Amino acid sequence: MASNKNPYLPELVTITNIIEETPNIKSFQVVFNDPERMKTFTFEPGQVGQLSVFGVGESTFVINSPPTRMEYLQFSVMRAGEVTGALHELFPGDQMGLRAPLGNWFPYDTMKGKKILFIGGGIGLAPLRTLILYMLDNRGDYKDITIIYGARTPPDLCYKEDLKDWESRSDVNLILTVDAEYPGWDKRIGFVPTVLNEVAPSPEDTIAITCGPPIMIKFVLQNLAKLNFKDEDIITTLEARMKCGIGICGRCNLGSKYICKDGPVFSLAQLRDFPGVI
Amino acid sequence: MSLDKLKQIITDVLKDVDVVIGYKQGFDALHATPCFVTKPEQVDEIIWSPLCVQNLAGYLTSLKKKVGIVVKGCDSRTIVQYMQEGLIDRNKVVVIGIPCTGILSVKKVLEKVKHEPVEEVTFGNDGTVIVKTPSGDTKMALSEVAPDKCETCLYPTPVVYDHLADEPIASTKDPQNVFKDVEEFNKKSLEEKKKYWEKEFDRCIRCYACRNACPMCVCQDSCIAETRDPHWISQRSNLTEKMMFHMIHALHLAGRCVECGECERVCPMGIPVNKLKKKINSDMKALFGYEPGVKPEDKPPMLTFSVEEKNIEEHKL
Amino acid sequence: MADTGFIPKEKWGAFIEGLSAKAQVWVPCLEEDIVIFRPYSKERVICFDRPANTPPKGVIFPQSDTLFSFAFTKDPENPQKVMVELEEKLDFPKTIIIGSRPCDAKGFLIYDRPYTQTDTPDPYYKGRREQTTIITMSCQSPSPGCFCTAVGGGPADKVGSDILITEVNTGYFIEAITEKGKEILQQSGAENGSSHEAEARKKQEEVHSRVQDRFCADGKPKISRDLFENDDFWQEELAKCVSCGACTYLCPTCYCFNITDEKTFEKGERIRSWDGCMYTHFTLEASGHNPRPTKYQRFKNRVGHKFIFYPEKYDGVIACCGCGRCIRYCPMSVDISEVVSKLQKQTGSASNGK
Repeated sequence: MASNKNPYLPELVTITNIIEETPNIKSFQVVFNDPERMKTFTFEPGQVGQLSVFGVGESTFVINSPPTRMEYLQFSVMRAGEVTGALHELFPGDQMGLRAPLGNWFPYDTMKGKKILFIGGGIGLAPLRTLILYMLDNRGDYKDITIIYGARTPPDLCYKEDLKDWESRSDVNLILTVDAEYPGWDKRIGFVPTVLNEVAPSPEDTIAITCGPPIMIKFVLQNLAKLNFKDEDIITTLEARMKCGIGICGRCNLGSKYICKDGPVFSLAQLRDFPGVI
Repeated sequence: MSLDKLKQIITDVLKDVDVVIGYKQGFDALHATPCFVTKPEQVDEIIWSPLCVQNLAGYLTSLKKKVGIVVKGCDSRTIVQYMQEGLIDRNKVVVIGIPCTGILSVKKVLEKVKHEPVEEVTFGNDGTVIVKTPSGDTKMALSEVAPDKCETCLYPTPVVYDHLADEPIASTKDPQNVFKDVEEFNKKSLEEKKKYWEKEFDRCIRCYACRNACPMCVCQDSCIAETRDPHWISQRSNLTEKMMFHMIHALHLAGRCVECGECERVCPMGIPVNKLKKKINSDMKALFGYEPGVKPEDKPPMLTFSVEEKNIEEHKL
Repeated sequence: MADTGFIPKEKWGAFIEGLSAKAQVWVPCLEEDIVIFRPYSKERVICFDRPANTPPKGVIFPQSDTLFSFAFTKDPENPQKVMVELEEKLDFPKTIIIGSRPCDAKGFLIYDRPYTQTDTPDPYYKGRREQTTIITMSCQSPSPGCFCTAVGGGPADKVGSDILITEVNTGYFIEAITEKGKEILQQSGAENGSSHEAEARKKQEEVHSRVQDRFCADGKPKISRDLFENDDFWQEELAKCVSCGACTYLCPTCYCFNITDEKTFEKGERIRSWDGCMYTHFTLEASGHNPRPTKYQRFKNRVGHKFIFYPEKYDGVIACCGCGRCIRYCPMSVDISEVVSKLQKQTGSASNGK
């Protein structure tokens, strides 16, 4: 259904809280300036938004809070370039623009009644977080939930509060790892793909969802194949430089599919159509 | 010059290099196009005529392999300038020089034949060109439709080469006239010059054909025209931004522009961008006595400095 | 309402002048030896003899366009707090383009599908498009490099235009195609066109027969996916490209753009500007990763977009109008029609060769 809304005009939001997840990653919790909008806004886990710092530009981030917890919308930002650098200079109370929700979402409906395996690295946990929390808020719909998550060092682990919570829960199996020995770290050591091999989950009745640095994804996918996971049961979410967010500016396309509109969530089976991506 | 001799040289050079870059027939009778020869069978496609207008030397900085390259006199100055600035490894380049008796300007020919599609182009030994279009044949002198740079060409024979495809040719042009067009233009008043450039740059579409075709423009991937940090030029399509880009581009080429004329040739909007660079070159000549791309051992004045400059009056503090 | 009309040569100038009273008229004008679309004014020299160097796409899709402006104000009660106000710029004048060619007009149809036939239509493009009438001149001769018939078009193709005008011996034969076109024809005071129709048709057919069939007689080229995925093929074809991007800016069907914020102190604008998939930085990410770092990959994406991906999404429509500008103005004469011809030959399609 065609909308008369101007898809390029952001809505105004205000930052209510900023959490320093790691030395270069901050999470921003925002609410719409218009309280009515906060009540009517809906989105699905996996969808993204374009955050504007007016005068600097826009950048795309996954909404990593779940739609079941709507006190605020949360976005996690790694300082990398012009816009993310400007975002990191903001304070609670500052205004930004938001164009959301954009893109497709995790097919959580088809995952009901199945075992879920999350594999994340670094800030790759952000898109997984929205789905994890959504599933925990609808816990009865899903069977075992396993999360394998790692980062370079313990300070680089994101969402430390959530990790503590998931560790303490009996209905979630959390496996944390860091790349190398670190003072004070007494849990697992090893790269995420290696830990995946050690855990060796069964592919039966399981959906694997992964996100992280490209090199991690590459090896995770190889190892999932060796563990006999089917391409249709492996889900990932991609990122690219985006501008319009509505599938026309020609930038984020893979063949005829736009990551901003037909993605960012893709199954590995879909990605096989684009040679060179995996 | 015998085309067979050129083809023989290319075949021989091909044995020692990964690729030889020459010219072949383009999409119609009026255009040649670069040809990247990697196998001996491809040498047959090679042509040589006044249609061979492109400066092939521009490819050298992006090719990592051993390259053979066909150059005219003006193109060879690019190679010398690259040597001065350390932008190529001379040992990895085999230069096949062709003494040039002049090329044509596609724009000037099309203007003469009123932009009709060109079916055939023949070159006479007497310096004539016959251009066949649907309305018939049009005869013209090559000198009438040559690009401006040919009129003041001091280096018809390449200034650097490993093989020469023909007998060297001496220049028949007076070195005093090289900057005559710039001196004429300079006589205009400031107001007239401003109006002139505003009118010309208004047509600019910032396609960057001039920038990318320029062999000396080597920071194309991080060009000031597009960077946000520093943010010198916005994406607004107005005269200010366009002129800013062209001024910066010309200044970045100060003392480096070898006047190959590619920038002006490739501009789809017919803007005489070479004029700006020529003006700066004439200033370089006056201030430093320097001519880009002529002697490999020269030191480019804008990349080096002397404690005391010959023609620059220091403030007596 | 009649569908055809005729304007004798001596009344042609008045016809254009008359249109300019109703709307902002864009005509191809001669400057130095360049033809460029400009707003009509009596001082300009109009040139319909050949296609303009740049297509008229800038009339409906300007090279830079303000999406909205923003202004910062400090809260007087609490100077630490900075408020932002946004203002959309969404009003568009009534416009007439006269002097586009059928290939140029097809370009706008290529834009229409992604920009308006979607659940998030682009209001800036849509607004200008609705306000614009397109009066196309049929070609009197093919241009260097052009190949409209190979992609399903033609020098007198009506698709995409409101009016098609064909120059005949004593004047201009007018065919109104859409309701907008018929209205203009009715108000133009043109004479009855029927006595000139035969001459116009003969001219149109004669020009059509002269357009070179570059690679596809039925206008529906089919690309070999095997050769398309072969990296060596692209490296060989594209070795001479200098990655300048002029082809994308001069192309009537290219519609990629950039969005940037331009600010001066406490106010500024978010603007949309032309961008091209052939530029190195087009897909460059802040991390330094670039999905299409080489010119070969970028050109492969460009050809893929025009001849495979866009047709895949939109009922087999090829996103190339065959105007030939990319070939004519390419600094190194890269020839997209030659590349497509080679890609086609691999399938052994019955419609190639002859």
